[in-house]
Amino acid sequence: MKILVVDDELAIRRLLKGALERGGYETIEAQDAREALHRSKAGCDLCLLDLGLPDRDGLELIPLLTQNGVPTIVLTARDATSEKVAALDLGADDFVTKPFDSEELLARIRGALRRCGASQSASGKRHFSDGTIDELTRDVVIRGSNVSLTPKEFDLLWKLSEHPGRALTHRVLLGTVWGEAHLDDLDYLRVAVRSLRKKIEENPSTPKVVVNEPGVGYRLTARA
Amino acid sequence: MSETATDTDPHAKAERFLRAAQREGKAELTVYLGAAPGVGKTYRMLQEAARKRADGRDVVVGVAETHGRGETAALLEPLEVLPRRTVEHEGHTLDEFDIDGALERRPNLILVDELAHTNAPGSRHPKRWQDVAELLAAGIDVATTVNIQHIESLNDVVAGFTHVRVRETVPDSILEDAELIVVDLPPEALIERLEAGKVYLPETAGRALSNFFVPTRLAALRELALRFAARNVDRRLIEDLRISGDTERFAAGERLMVAVSAGEGGAQVIRQAKRLADMLHAPWTAVVVESGSGRTAKGAQREQLAENLALASSLGASLLTIAADRVGPALVQQAKELKATQIVIGKSRRSRWFEWWHGSVAKEVIRDAAGVSVHVVPLEAADLKPERVGDPHPYRDPILALLMVGVTVGLIQAAQQWISASAVDLLLLLPVILAASLLRMSGAIWSAVWAALAFNFFFTEPVHTLTIDTPADVITFVILGAVAAVIGWLAARVRRQAETSAGIARLNASLARFAGLMGTVSDDRETARVACREIAGLLDVLAIVVNVEDDEIRVLSHGETEHALDMVDAAAARRCLETGEATGRDTGTLNASDWQFHPLKTALGTMGALGIARPDGGRVVRPDDAILLASLVDQTALAHERLILEKQARDVDVLSERDRMRGALLGSLAHDLKTPLTAVIAASDAIPAEGPHAEEVMIARSEARRLSRFMGDLLEASRIESGSLEPAMETVDLVDLVNAAIDALRSRDPSGRIAFAAEDDCPLVKADPVLTRHILINLIDNALKYSPGDAPVEIDLECHEDKVWLTVADHGEGLPEDADRLFERFQRIEGSDRAGGSGLGLWIVKNFAEIQGFAIAAKNHSGGAAFELSWPQDNIVRSQEG
Repeated sequence: MKILVVDDELAIRRLLKGALERGGYETIEAQDAREALHRSKAGCDLCLLDLGLPDRDGLELIPLLTQNGVPTIVLTARDATSEKVAALDLGADDFVTKPFDSEELLARIRGALRRCGASQSASGKRHFSDGTIDELTRDVVIRGSNVSLTPKEFDLLWKLSEHPGRALTHRVLLGTVWGEAHLDDLDYLRVAVRSLRKKIEENPSTPKVVVNEPGVGYRLTARA
Repeated sequence: MSETATDTDPHAKAERFLRAAQREGKAELTVYLGAAPGVGKTYRMLQEAARKRADGRDVVVGVAETHGRGETAALLEPLEVLPRRTVEHEGHTLDEFDIDGALERRPNLILVDELAHTNAPGSRHPKRWQDVAELLAAGIDVATTVNIQHIESLNDVVAGFTHVRVRETVPDSILEDAELIVVDLPPEALIERLEAGKVYLPETAGRALSNFFVPTRLAALRELALRFAARNVDRRLIEDLRISGDTERFAAGERLMVAVSAGEGGAQVIRQAKRLADMLHAPWTAVVVESGSGRTAKGAQREQLAENLALASSLGASLLTIAADRVGPALVQQAKELKATQIVIGKSRRSRWFEWWHGSVAKEVIRDAAGVSVHVVPLEAADLKPERVGDPHPYRDPILALLMVGVTVGLIQAAQQWISASAVDLLLLLPVILAASLLRMSGAIWSAVWAALAFNFFFTEPVHTLTIDTPADVITFVILGAVAAVIGWLAARVRRQAETSAGIARLNASLARFAGLMGTVSDDRETARVACREIAGLLDVLAIVVNVEDDEIRVLSHGETEHALDMVDAAAARRCLETGEATGRDTGTLNASDWQFHPLKTALGTMGALGIARPDGGRVVRPDDAILLASLVDQTALAHERLILEKQARDVDVLSERDRMRGALLGSLAHDLKTPLTAVIAASDAIPAEGPHAEEVMIARSEARRLSRFMGDLLEASRIESGSLEPAMETVDLVDLVNAAIDALRSRDPSGRIAFAAEDDCPLVKADPVLTRHILINLIDNALKYSPGDAPVEIDLECHEDKVWLTVADHGEGLPEDADRLFERFQRIEGSDRAGGSGLGLWIVKNFAEIQGFAIAAKNHSGGAAFELSWPQDNIVRSQEG
């Protein structure tokens, strides 16, 4: 597995390289956008992208990379929610906040590669952490028992289960489930998530299945 | 002096509350006001009604005239419509608004279209507005529509330019407390609509009503409607301010001008003007007209005029002198220039004959001052009667006039053979003109008399007698006398006016020079010195500037010579500075002092006092100088104020520049440190914490993270201080944010001490998710630090009715007495320094909370300290969809 590390700081590249190699990945490095594009064409399985690049805004690279079938994980500051949202909306697979924890970074990379390698069937049955969802029968099974969901809850869970482990922004969820007219009606989403959690979480006040990324969106926990 | 209600007046206070209560309890009337039929009032009213209904209000349509317009009818569709009451009248069936039905249905808001409508005979009230009044009295909110021409007070105005008189009118009183919404449509658009057949005009009024639909008339009607609504808003605003007792701050755009004359009466007029100005909270100007006519004040009267001006100035008026021939028109002109809305003028009781002859200034002003309120203060006649002052040389003018005429006669006699007899009378006008231009009015008149007599004595048959033989000579004599008198009078008047104007021009020139000098000075002492020197020169007085320094009166500057103040002088100066009124010699306060003190008042306070004295001990300010002095004092004060403002501006510049630099430095420092820090953290994580150096590796890891948190705190603090922090509020589920915070602290809580309990179905709140998570991380992290061993940290999300609160409680030693100080910068709980923090954490937490509009409190609970966040009702989201 080859991972492209794009960062203008040599120290960070070295560290990432070290961490990745410990995790069993091969790395190639790029220090700016131009080099990154060039290297990505030579073939890589995933890109770790720092958004602050000297020659171009890192956000611009995301669609170019993902179009080439390279899943991208963005490195951002913790509070830069708008940056995270923009990156996700542009097609980034995930984000890792700096300063990062190497274990967490490796876990995110594994998740992204898994999603990329084995995408869920577009229709039919999908699996996530504690359960399965079936589009045809509209059955939702959580920890072995059937759960009945309202149409909106079902649509929401269905959308989230498309890429378990991947964060979907609020607007994407609102647009898919409620329609383009309700992109900013965050209340709807919050209320629906809450009632969904009541039905599928073991303890709704410490949700493990549908997890929120404050200011960004929700992700469905993938199968462990 | 002010008659306005103040908070100290219990009656006024009670009345305010009463008014507020009355308005509070009353149902609301909303009026959609249009300039002409067809602007879309009903449409707009229905639109708003639909919106209100969507907001959950109980809306019913009482009457809505759709006039067959489809789009309007469509709006009516979803609304509940009250059935109409049918009335039989002379074989016709009329549909009328059913007031009984409405009262029985008791909606929250009822729509009753066309307020000006006349009900069918036999209805409860003859007019629809009476129905509306009854609905309002019953506590039902009403929305209605009306066109501007139906408003009673404007009925005449509208009829005036449209030549259509509308019989159906609505009294203004019903609109007084209403909320007016102007439904506005430009005239062109309205005419377009009319031509497209979209405007319904009743058959009966068809032609007459179409008189409205002329662009200019529509524009006028539109302006009328907008102005009416604007006035209504103004009035309601003033009313609100009255109710809140907050009358000091409102400015209704009133300006007051008072005409100042000499005499006791003048003072009375000024006081009246001051009262009125106070009542209106209006700026006011005292105006003196220096006319060239014989009615200008002289001598003692002049002095009184100066006193009156001083009074006006001390009561806060600006002073103004204008030169003009006639007082009345001059006042009217000045009122226009000042944009005065109120004129106060005195009028003495005098005989009709006197008034007919002299004219009445008050009458002229009332006649000519269009659109301005004129207040006439009645005065006793004696006050204004021009006082003839003893002339020191009563015979000088007649004798000089006689000499001039004599010389002329002598010259005519000497040159008789070259002069035709008919030219004599013309030549005799020469000394009259000469006298008029050199002597005073009386000299001119005397010369006219002498010239006429000389003509009679020397040049008419019989010569050398005062008798006249031929009727032609009689006529010549009379004409000569009359012409001489008129020429003399006119010439004298012109000269006098020129003198007055020149005087005023000199005054203005002095002021301009003074203002110029004051504009160039660059410090306090310099200002005072220049002011003293100039004022001393201009008024021929001694001048000083004093102020309080270290609680003592100090002379800041002298003119040419130094002056010392004795006890009395110092007391007068102090009093002047304290009260902001003129004190000392020739004033009502401490006039035993040799000095007269004038406060240098500005918007920033009293900048000091100007002291003036006359070396010979005479009257300090000469009457003619009163206005000049007032202006000089103003200019001096302004110069001081300018200096202070400039200094403040400079200081602020320096400070803000320094702040900006510090912020930039901090920002770049934090940014530059972040990257190496990230590397350090990642590197220390990469070293396995095993073997002999396990301890050191753990220390390196935790200290690197601590440093990173410090950097974060510093950055947040600089963002707060720079004021650039803008919360991005959105609907959040607090459960999510608490879990996110716990998740972020996972590495600091390996044994799982954090216990979170959330009450079911607590409402969502509006908050900035990032800032709120930051608050929670800080609070939970703190609690972890202060809870000993494996004591739990308890987080509870609770809600009750309209409140949501979140508590983070530890099991430590609890908070010290002055827990509020915790939220200050660089505060740590005493004796707990080992816990280690930047000392900024709680300060940041408090600021983040405040900026989002929720509250944070620290307190002790039974087993330790607890921090409680609570969200106000405004931040709680009531959701409508599941």
